[in-house]
Amino acid sequence: MTAIKLTNIDKYFGTGLSRVEVLTNVSFTADLGELSLILGPSGSGKSTLLTIMGGLQTPDQGEVLIDQQNLTKLSPKQRDQLRLNKIGFVLQSYNLLPYLNVRDQFKLVDRVKGKGNLPQAELDHLLTELGIDRLLNQYPGELSGGQNQRVAIARALYTDPQIILADEPTAALDSNRVKVVGQLLKQMAQDHHKAVIVVTHDLRLREFADHTYQLMDGHLTREA
Amino acid sequence: MFLALKEIKHAKFRYALITVMIMMISYLVFILMGMMLGLANENKAAINSWGTSTVFLNKNANGNLSASMLTKDQLPSRLNKHEALVGQVPVVVTRVGSQHKLKENAQVIGLDRQQFIAKEKIALTAGHQAKETHQVVVDEGLRAKGYRLGDRIRLNSSEQKYQIVGFTKDAKLNVAPVIYTTLTSWQQLKGVNNRVVASGVVTDRTEPASRFDQLSRYTAATFIQKLPGYTAQNNTFTFMIAFLMVISLVIIAVFLYILTMQKMNNYAVLRAQGIPAKHLVGATLAQAVILMLAGVIGGIIFTWITQLVLPTTVPILMNWPIIAGISLVLIILGMLGALLPVRMILKIDPVKALNN
Repeated sequence: MTAIKLTNIDKYFGTGLSRVEVLTNVSFTADLGELSLILGPSGSGKSTLLTIMGGLQTPDQGEVLIDQQNLTKLSPKQRDQLRLNKIGFVLQSYNLLPYLNVRDQFKLVDRVKGKGNLPQAELDHLLTELGIDRLLNQYPGELSGGQNQRVAIARALYTDPQIILADEPTAALDSNRVKVVGQLLKQMAQDHHKAVIVVTHDLRLREFADHTYQLMDGHLTREA
Repeated sequence: MFLALKEIKHAKFRYALITVMIMMISYLVFILMGMMLGLANENKAAINSWGTSTVFLNKNANGNLSASMLTKDQLPSRLNKHEALVGQVPVVVTRVGSQHKLKENAQVIGLDRQQFIAKEKIALTAGHQAKETHQVVVDEGLRAKGYRLGDRIRLNSSEQKYQIVGFTKDAKLNVAPVIYTTLTSWQQLKGVNNRVVASGVVTDRTEPASRFDQLSRYTAATFIQKLPGYTAQNNTFTFMIAFLMVISLVIIAVFLYILTMQKMNNYAVLRAQGIPAKHLVGATLAQAVILMLAGVIGGIIFTWITQLVLPTTVPILMNWPIIAGISLVLIILGMLGALLPVRMILKIDPVKALNN
């Protein structure tokens, strides 16, 4: 089942002679239960593509469909709402608030979203599965990089989104940790039935992907 | 509120420092306000205690009671029961027989014992009203300086001795204790002949029954404003307090701005995740209110302790409703200071956070 569909996306910055085409005629589909890997060097437009998928930017042409809704037609508030309910972000910087302990990172989501998050039993199971169930009273500054990344993944899953967008989730990790995170992302897609989209230049994640794409000079191509 | 409290709890020392800073500013504002009110009160307490509504003075006196002299022919032959003659002269008080040669500046107020001020408005805290010509009732301030009932005093260089027979409170004029005596004694101290009967006429009515066509009329408020140094002194304090309030606004704005700057990446990520800006704005405003509230409450507590330990010679008067009003203004200023970081939050671009 399709979770997100991008059709003929164009994105450029600047005007006239200084105009830079970042994405050209990009089309992309991700299904639930699959991990899609978008590979590309720095400056290839990976992050721009991710922000368009997440409704943080609108394309200059084309449409982005999530759950039958065209993101380009939604107001900023509606896009906020959609991100909160349908999309989970996993970032290189772990995106955890330094002054909230692990338990409060989830409480914050509860307070903002109210309902629709994972029930407590499922959250407990998820935390155990990720090996962070004993870290609930710890602050991000007291955790290792790997532990922070797992907490970030748990928080992204907590809102029960249908899409997980991961931006360079392994950039600062050694090979062993890359393997762990890769398996976790795969597990998120298969066991939790999410569409996981990872943009990265880390080729070590290739073995975990169901589909791999190459983004080069704004053109997206799917590897055979 | 959740984010605000969690952050304060996590960074206790940082927020404690900011709270202490706000507390010190509010403490200074409250103490200055107390001193302004205290000094103002010591300028006019006696006038207020008489229930003064209107004052009549000589036309050339420019509203200055001690510069005014009224003669018999300027007054009606008989005053109404709500009107009283008042004579004022500044004096130096010396206690007779004191080894320490106590000398104090004071204001002698001469009254007619048959008129309403002497009969109704001098509330005693000790002793009795003056019955003899050279008996006086004096302000409590003199008791605090060592004067006692029965003490004999000299006024200026006069050889005449006066006996303290009573103490009264709220008897201060021009920041000096008042000595209530008779108009006859006032004439002697002022060095005027019998033709000059008083400095002015005070009434507790807005519209006096008698006509004082040859005199200038002042409302109590105008009369007080014209007390020597009163307006200049109040304006000085008012400007000091106003500047302190503006400084507190700048300080809270700068602190919240710096704190918000440090959190911009975190906030941007939260915005990227769909957390509405109103939650982040709410957290910032809540933090401003919590900091201001804690600082102001601390300031009030310190002010209260200070006024308990200050010697009675320090003119300080705590008017708690005014302090509550100033506290409210300080908290509102804190929220105004928070508008700067709020503007930053509203302009956060989550895309930049992802790119960073």
